[in-house]
Amino acid sequence: MDALNNLMYGFGIALEPINIAYVFAGVFAGTIIGMLPGLGPISALALMIPITFAMEPSSGLILMAGVYYGAIFGGSTSSILLNAPGVAGTVATSFDGYPMAKQGMAGKALAIAAYASFIGGTVSVIFLMLVAPLLSKVAVSFGPAEYFALMVLGLTAVVSLSDKSLVKGLIAAVVGVMISIVGIDTQTGTERFTFNSIQLLDGIDFLVVALGIFALAEVFYMLLRGGGGKEAPRNAIGSLKLSGSEVKKIAGPISRSSVLGFFTGVLPGAGATIGSFLGYSMEKRLAKDGDTFGQGNIKGVAAPEAANNAACTGSFVPLLTLGVPGSGTTAVLLGALLVMGVTPGPMMLEQRPDVFWGVIASMYIGNIFLLVLNLPLIPLIAKILDLPRPLLLSMILIFCMIGVYGMSFSVFDLLLLLGFGLLGLGMRLFGFPTAPLILALILGNIMEESMRRALQISGGDWSTFIDKPISLSLLVIAMLSLGLPLLKKRRNKAATAAN
Amino acid sequence: MTTLSLKRIAVLALPMAALAMTTSAQAQEWTPSKSIEFIAPANPGGGWDTLVRTMSRVIQQESLADESFAAINVPGGGGVVAWAQVARDSGNPHKLFATSPPMILVPLAGASRYDHTDFTPIARINTDYSIILVAADSEYQTLEDLFEALKANPGLSVGGGSAPGSMDHISMAGLASAAGMEPSAVNYIPFSGGGDAMTNLMGGHIEAVIGGAGEAVGQLGEGSQLRALGVSSEERLGGGLAEVPTYQEQGYDYTFDIWRGVMGAPEMPEEAVEYYETLFAEMLETDAWREASDQLGWIDAYQDSETFGAFLDEQQAQFSSVLTDLGLLRQ
Repeated sequence: MDALNNLMYGFGIALEPINIAYVFAGVFAGTIIGMLPGLGPISALALMIPITFAMEPSSGLILMAGVYYGAIFGGSTSSILLNAPGVAGTVATSFDGYPMAKQGMAGKALAIAAYASFIGGTVSVIFLMLVAPLLSKVAVSFGPAEYFALMVLGLTAVVSLSDKSLVKGLIAAVVGVMISIVGIDTQTGTERFTFNSIQLLDGIDFLVVALGIFALAEVFYMLLRGGGGKEAPRNAIGSLKLSGSEVKKIAGPISRSSVLGFFTGVLPGAGATIGSFLGYSMEKRLAKDGDTFGQGNIKGVAAPEAANNAACTGSFVPLLTLGVPGSGTTAVLLGALLVMGVTPGPMMLEQRPDVFWGVIASMYIGNIFLLVLNLPLIPLIAKILDLPRPLLLSMILIFCMIGVYGMSFSVFDLLLLLGFGLLGLGMRLFGFPTAPLILALILGNIMEESMRRALQISGGDWSTFIDKPISLSLLVIAMLSLGLPLLKKRRNKAATAAN
Repeated sequence: MTTLSLKRIAVLALPMAALAMTTSAQAQEWTPSKSIEFIAPANPGGGWDTLVRTMSRVIQQESLADESFAAINVPGGGGVVAWAQVARDSGNPHKLFATSPPMILVPLAGASRYDHTDFTPIARINTDYSIILVAADSEYQTLEDLFEALKANPGLSVGGGSAPGSMDHISMAGLASAAGMEPSAVNYIPFSGGGDAMTNLMGGHIEAVIGGAGEAVGQLGEGSQLRALGVSSEERLGGGLAEVPTYQEQGYDYTFDIWRGVMGAPEMPEEAVEYYETLFAEMLETDAWREASDQLGWIDAYQDSETFGAFLDEQQAQFSSVLTDLGLLRQ
């Protein structure tokens, strides 16, 4: 009952009129920021620090947290409508969201994303409230060896992401890892694949690759395949309503992915992205209709959206209970809290319960605001698909270029974007799946760094990966998830051969 | 006559005199004719960015300058991209950037075409110090305990928040050498930031962490999972770190400053340099600055352009000898 009392106390703070206004302003700004690629939540929050400087710490954090989860909430829109994921956490949403939009079900896809985000967000706030202090131990139990194992597990999703040909999927994944290597190696300071270009020193940003091989490649592809509207016209956006059977279909994926997302979010690192990919591939394997994933299956939208919003809330666990940032965004939040005179950490619950419980309570309110705000907006935003084909294609082009340029102000990145657009087109024409490339790009870096750190700590002893129970179990799960589908395939083949 | 002598006093000395000077000596002063580009050579959120934004805010809040300071982020290569951009803008008096030890270290590691001598030093602003942390339940109570263990077992890992050859590593290597160890014998593990290193220390994955005192202060004190063994300052620090002994108190003759300052485009006119160094000295005296730097754990360490320039040369000599010991010098 303690939690309930604390929650009531938190609501007392979050329901002050000024704080309600801040929650609303935060989630509204966040939704807009999420919809536009380029201005990610990190930059948006850094720019807000001067505004929050003079605020009450609880109000300041309520506002900034609202921007953060609002941006993740709104991030699915461009993935679904334009195949242009703005942040890494919403890449998996485009796998089925965009096909749904192409089939005239954009409204339904966006509505499912909104419901799944809402439930993922709310479920994880409940977890945050009940078990946050206990989970701080879980967050620190992951060292380099454990992260390596987790990344390996994440990479096994390549198998479920490469439908037609596993070999082509693996080739795409290797290319992704190679792209992730570009830049200064943080372990030694050596430049790799930079060709003496200072623009490549920091590596290639995820956004450039994702917008290139997804959105730009799609534009090129449509141009090639007769952009004059020979294909079925993108008719209306379809209904937003879900039938009873559809609700039943997505209930399981949403609840499983919410829990999964929350726990991956708790781990400092790439929580939302890994959460959404793991959620997607888990549901694909569990589903009876798993082979329709990637062609517009509603579960394929629901699972990653629930997972990435849950992970976003989960990432507040290390921030609030340990005072360590779990991601770039929470690092900025930590900085802002320090400026406001609040030190997050083990003592925060006792010293500043108003901030801790006020923010948690505000997240319940914020998630409701987001749902109420986003549902009526769907028909308006989805109208973009009614635009004539040539206009729509040029808009996607401009949208991608502004997103990339706005991030780095670098013309070089625009050329890279174009290059990746052509790469994506080539991959499509020759039947290479693009999703494994993106997954490997996102995970490759952390995987390599963690592996080398772990080996440096162990003095070069590889058994460190199997000596640690968490690392060992993750590796075993990874082996199983790789091996079982292959075994199943072989057995099926043997069975058909016997017949 | 009066203007001249007043001006001389202000240049030579004290921030206090600066206030009087700006009001009375405007006639021959250089003042900016448009807004000043104040570059943080990194993404939003880091140390450089915080310095740039805090300074710009205080200057504006206290109406210290007629033109505004526009904070601009130019990320890339740990500063390299921004430096290359500023270096092309020789003589421009409206272009400044935030700087700290990487300005010396990155060029020494061979990663930048430009080094600190290519730019105009304006002023050192403040400083932070290194701190050595262990887990709260660790058996090491003093630096001596830690170094004895490290000497006996060089495999023990010491984490830091930055790449090999950068600030944390250099600071650790210098201390190790003061403790009679071969600097390259320390098993330094680079993490992606101070927070990441501290998380790994809490989880027991590494033995110790070297990091910035300002960043660590929030992790210390009652109920904390970490404990500090020493700071790299000459005298004990205040606030939450008052209990932490210095290296020197424990018999290790070594100090390390994580200084922060401002530099400008190459060949900046002298009048402009004077204008900025006086302005920043004035800024350090304001209440708004005091408040902000208390909260961020910054310690004022002002130096004017000339002193700062000489200090940078000294730092370069010192760092290059440590990097040579580590085998990381690539110039």
